[in-house]
Amino acid sequence: MKKHLLQTQVNRWMKSMLLLFLAFIGTAVFGQGRNISGTVYDQLTNESLPGASVLIKGTTKGTSTDINGQFNLMVNAGENTLVISFIGYETTEVALGSQNVVSIMLTPEKTSLQEVVVVGYGTIKVKDLTSSITTIKSEELSKTPSSMPMQALQGKVAGLQIVTNGGPGNSPTVRVRGIGSFPGHDNEAPLYVVDGMFFDNIDFLNPSEIASISILKDASAAAIYGVRAANGVVLIETKSGSYNQKPEFTYSGYAGYQVAQDVVKMANAEQFTAMAMESGSAADKSFIEEAMQRYGRSRVNPFIPDVNTDWYNEILRPAKISNHSLDFSGGNEIAKYSIGTNYFFQEGLLNMKNEYERMNLHSKIDLKATDWLTIGCNIVYSNATKYNDQAGAWNQAYFAVPIMPVHDEFNTNASPTNYASARSLGYRDGQNPFPAMDFNIDGMKIKKIIANFYMEFDLVPKTLTFKTTYNNYFMAIDQRVVNLPWYIDDGFQNVDATLTRTISKDDNKIWDNILTFTESFGAHNLTIMAGTSFKDESFQKLTAQGKDFPTNMEQSWYISQSANIPSEQVSDDGIRMYGMSYFSRLAYNFKDKYLLYATVRADGSNKYQQTWGYFPTIGVGWILSEENFLKGNVNIPFLKLRASWGQLGNDHIQASDGAYTTSIANTTLGGIQYAGTVVSNSFSYLKWELVEETNIGITAKLLNDKLSADLDYYIRDTKKAAIPVIIPAVGTSVMRPVGTIRNSGIELSLGWSDRINDKLSYSVGANVSTLKNEVRDLYGQSYLDGGTAEFRQRTYVGEPLMAFYGREVAGIYQNQAEIDADPVAITNGLVPGDFKYKDQNGDDVIDDDDRVILGSYFPNLIYGGNFSINYSDFDLSCSVYGQSGNKILNRKRGELIWTADGNLDADLATNRWHGEGTSNIYPSSAGLRKGWNQKMSDYFVEDGSFFRIQNVQVGYTIRDSKWLGGQFPETRISFTAERPLTLFSYNGFTPEVANGVDTQTYPIPAIYTIGLNVKF
Amino acid sequence: MGVLFLSNGCKKYLDDPKENLAYTDETDYTISSNMIKPILGTYSEFNNTEWEDFPLIAVRGDDVNAGGLGDQQDFAETDRYNYNKDFWMYNSLWQNYYTNMFSANSAIEQIVLYKENGANQTLADQYIAEANVLKSWWLFNLSRVWGSILIPADATPSSLYVTPLSSKEEVMQYISDLMDEAIPNLVAVRPNERADIPGGVTKYTALAMKALANLELKNYQAVAEATGEIINSGKYSLEVDYYNLFKIPGKLSNENLWEMQYSDLGQGSGDNFSYLFAFFGPSDWNPAVAGSGPGWGFWEPSLKYIKFMLDRGESIRLETSVIFTNRGITELKSDPNYTNLPTWISNTTRSGDEFKDYARAMFASGKHYLPSDQLTEGRTEYGTNKNFICIRYSEILLMYAEALTQGASGSAGSADEAVNLVRARAGLSNVSGVTTAQVMDEKFAELAMEWGTRFYDMVRLGRTADLSYEGRNFEIGKAFLPYPQNQIDQLPVLGQ
Repeated sequence: MKKHLLQTQVNRWMKSMLLLFLAFIGTAVFGQGRNISGTVYDQLTNESLPGASVLIKGTTKGTSTDINGQFNLMVNAGENTLVISFIGYETTEVALGSQNVVSIMLTPEKTSLQEVVVVGYGTIKVKDLTSSITTIKSEELSKTPSSMPMQALQGKVAGLQIVTNGGPGNSPTVRVRGIGSFPGHDNEAPLYVVDGMFFDNIDFLNPSEIASISILKDASAAAIYGVRAANGVVLIETKSGSYNQKPEFTYSGYAGYQVAQDVVKMANAEQFTAMAMESGSAADKSFIEEAMQRYGRSRVNPFIPDVNTDWYNEILRPAKISNHSLDFSGGNEIAKYSIGTNYFFQEGLLNMKNEYERMNLHSKIDLKATDWLTIGCNIVYSNATKYNDQAGAWNQAYFAVPIMPVHDEFNTNASPTNYASARSLGYRDGQNPFPAMDFNIDGMKIKKIIANFYMEFDLVPKTLTFKTTYNNYFMAIDQRVVNLPWYIDDGFQNVDATLTRTISKDDNKIWDNILTFTESFGAHNLTIMAGTSFKDESFQKLTAQGKDFPTNMEQSWYISQSANIPSEQVSDDGIRMYGMSYFSRLAYNFKDKYLLYATVRADGSNKYQQTWGYFPTIGVGWILSEENFLKGNVNIPFLKLRASWGQLGNDHIQASDGAYTTSIANTTLGGIQYAGTVVSNSFSYLKWELVEETNIGITAKLLNDKLSADLDYYIRDTKKAAIPVIIPAVGTSVMRPVGTIRNSGIELSLGWSDRINDKLSYSVGANVSTLKNEVRDLYGQSYLDGGTAEFRQRTYVGEPLMAFYGREVAGIYQNQAEIDADPVAITNGLVPGDFKYKDQNGDDVIDDDDRVILGSYFPNLIYGGNFSINYSDFDLSCSVYGQSGNKILNRKRGELIWTADGNLDADLATNRWHGEGTSNIYPSSAGLRKGWNQKMSDYFVEDGSFFRIQNVQVGYTIRDSKWLGGQFPETRISFTAERPLTLFSYNGFTPEVANGVDTQTYPIPAIYTIGLNVKF
Repeated sequence: MGVLFLSNGCKKYLDDPKENLAYTDETDYTISSNMIKPILGTYSEFNNTEWEDFPLIAVRGDDVNAGGLGDQQDFAETDRYNYNKDFWMYNSLWQNYYTNMFSANSAIEQIVLYKENGANQTLADQYIAEANVLKSWWLFNLSRVWGSILIPADATPSSLYVTPLSSKEEVMQYISDLMDEAIPNLVAVRPNERADIPGGVTKYTALAMKALANLELKNYQAVAEATGEIINSGKYSLEVDYYNLFKIPGKLSNENLWEMQYSDLGQGSGDNFSYLFAFFGPSDWNPAVAGSGPGWGFWEPSLKYIKFMLDRGESIRLETSVIFTNRGITELKSDPNYTNLPTWISNTTRSGDEFKDYARAMFASGKHYLPSDQLTEGRTEYGTNKNFICIRYSEILLMYAEALTQGASGSAGSADEAVNLVRARAGLSNVSGVTTAQVMDEKFAELAMEWGTRFYDMVRLGRTADLSYEGRNFEIGKAFLPYPQNQIDQLPVLGQ
């Protein structure tokens, strides 16, 4: 009842506000002549539109529609045309005949060509673009239940690869048009610009705070960001209100569960026992015996232990996820605002303290202080707590033997929990992942504030503006890693209580000053922007460790409560970087047909030896549809050819590599600690990488605007790429700015939308992109080794970066006759069940000269699609995503080479060779332990292609309902299934492995949620 | 518009230097008291050896088996003389030791800078000589394992691209010459007499390295001279308590010419500098001090060695070298010649630690065992706080004795005297007129499980039959490991 009262009150209040507002506008209407009255409707829904502007053409006279979409207007003789406009609809002119009552239909804006997109320090009309930019609106973001806005872009943008990281609060890996830098050096992230502020990731933003995300893909679009732009630029605009917008109060939220998908099936006790018995290792057989003695024999099969633990099943749990957002936005003539708050919570799939919780506040206000000055202020405050998973558990659960239970009642000495230890069976390690999960707590308190203030001066109205903006970003992360003591047995215990506290702080400031000049001279339309930007970035980090503190109460988990504070664990680090930039842009079009776009940026910083870098770009476009031979063709309403070229920098490259520095080396001599110094001579100065990109493209609207298409081809060369040059013999390398890496590809996006009738409309979209990654030069070296000595990844000139490199398996030796017939098998003492490798060089010897490239971890094809349909108040949408051509190193299987007696996946156990004809792909159990079969080969390298149903959402909207005599707010109820189905052949949790090497990848969950949106 | 140019003033910040860096070229070499730091750094590298270095150097030979069955298959295969150049330990040992050698060369360069800036010249030369002795240890072991290797000429690894391969003979001669250079600059004291760097190398350590290198060269006269000088110094004596020589009381003993030093600083928690002795420990035991950690079950004394010792009637050295499990004892007794074992043999050590049966090995190495009652209270890692001996006086005596039996002349007494000193400590009676074969038996008994001495002696003497035991078949072509594939990929000279 209370709720009802409140609702009607709100509604009444809103209505009176609106009426007051309309009355105010109404006073402007004067004059004589006839009185025209009418109603404005939405052409699609037939609903009346309140607040639409109605103007008499050629005058300033006009009015707005009232709450029922109706208006009255006095028109003088000779005033024959009305112009009706409303946000989100196409502006329509209505010729007045003799009638005094008109009914006007407004068509929702379906062509986005008139829309403007943000391009960095300004905006540009979509139709004037000469570069490749894709913009995703907030509605699209809201479909994906995730704390990470970028996650929602997976499969939606051609040329953008999003690799999900499964842990709660972990940002996905984002790659724009491949990788132009040598991987693994934290240098591939794009630049994120949030309302003008620079970030390396946007994990602190809730998707509900974002109005739009624009991906600036090519050099021409990104070059205005100069030395930061080489990995692509992602522009984020947070939500703001609109002038003259009625206050709108929105609640949106969802809650649901995450379920681990495609859990790897491990060998069960029976399969594991069979493998151990066939291993030829007496020790392994004895472990099985021991397990039968300790835990009894299975009643089904008396030769296997009566324990069958599925470790993945034990460590996984269904996990909760929920999100609640409140937003309030609106505006009058001089002010607009958007304020709100949101709360996000997500548990991890790993059954331990593994979760992410975030509370955000945001407020954005813009004020037209005078008719020549606009000021604004924007603040987002994000307060998150994140408990990281015990990453090693994924790996441990893989190898933990199934013949051991989770708890062992015989382990009476264990404390505080009687977990089982594989050591009781004779294995070297305890193997049980639970002690580490239970007694290690890795918590982070993350606070991030972004605040900005701007003033914009209209120096010459609509022609010359000056804007000065000050941005400040402050981040504080307080991380505490606590390892509590536990005891399972003498060889499986953690003696010391250890806590490591790390406090880090980022404090970044940017001060931008921008002058923009816009003018048209006849058919010449010109915008010139010039600006400066000053940047001050500082980072500080302090770490210390304490041992043996009182563990009973969390309140005493402090370093100062510790009995022991190891001095070498204290570290203090800091970075201070300044940047000064000058930049300018020219956007010019002639007759709206011929486009010219150019920017230049000069970036200075104190990071590198070389202070200044210059980054130019130029783009041209030709709108064919404006030419006479196409004009008016309803099948080709819009067609544009565009081409661009530009240079960008990547300053994620460290300033230098290796050390010419001296580090402290401690040791004890005669029982006393001494501190010596060790000097390393592997030093190299680096500089930013230079990316040069050429892009050509076509943008088209076809078939009466129903079909939109974008096609791009690009070549992107990273010059002076910092690549690791091996230092011989010592197992390290030093980065030198000497490589050339090329990415090239084709991107195609298609969209089709149509409206069958008032009630039924649908749209279909598809995007596909190809990627070819190729190394063009490596400092004269013919190849470069990466990975590890056992799992070699090699970069050859002419091949992709870090391709997997090893032998090719031709099959399995099936019988003795086959062995006897093959000199290779005899020389190497092989037996049936061993690998037969391909003799690549035909010298009748199998050795390391027979190694070849086994594939790359870059997909060469990424595709996505979406389909949505609206019928009356129901809506359904579905999106799919897939990739192919990439390989994954199944290093979990591979790590058997270090410790052979652990468990294996069921696929391998079932399909192992165990007699003639049983397998031609997997070796025998004994064979798995032989060095011959453990060489890096395509046995370890698997296909990473997948196809996934990314998102399915069904919604029902309640509109215009009366409820207990009042207006029922517009309400949408929705059900979402995120990633419900993924099809792939890889033997792992997920084919999404960012660097292609799978050791302990967090599983990617399917998420099922129910959502509610209420709008007042 | 003015603001636009106002911001220009911020440009001055671009000249600010970077934070939190200490550049080597900023080091003040006139502060001579800091000259000790680079050499301490090299000692730190020496002590911080990776756990896999020693096992790969020393696993071959009839004294010890890999143990750890079911784990590190290619390590066990290496023990059986089946080599895999892709096995990670091969590459790791190579890289670790080369890293150390470059670090030693770099330390020398630093010391030279202090020397040029007014530091004490004699002390500078001494530190340089110490760095060269440390370097010779890594060169010596690498060349024993691989034969021909590359000798790093300076502190720059990329110089190896133009470095020719040196044969094992050239490497050993290089070490001998390097020691000749170093010896006059080193102090003539025992390592445990040094106050500035306790346990640091001295003149006698360099002489020992010279002797070891010349032994590999079969230059027995040089061996006799170098070892004779050590013996004649009178500085060294055999530790009476052989059992405890390898335990806490034996740290920096008068017998030790060189050891890798570790310490828990006498504290039950906090900083602890330790070798990973868990490698040698039993998979399962019942320690006298409850809660003491077990190990990985590697490094199993061979049945051949145990039987050899039993045949000789040894007890002191057998008890110290081998720890029995009941399964091992049963296996011994299954040989009809050993059904009656001495009564002292049991699976409980004299310190009261009971070694239970485990599948990975039948015996454990006693020289790498620290009784649980010698652990500092609060510490539980197997063997922690123990030192790792590299060269000890008994090896010097036996090298001297062998050199004489091989025809060299010596100034430090007879071969009999040297051998009998070692035998007396082991509780054995004197012998006279010792032959080379008897000296080798004595070395086998005395130095088993330590640094592969037995294997490299047998290879040097061509006694392949001795190395073919318990199902193994050794031939001289298997003396060296193949170069790690990862190194062949980097240094093509290794592939030629």
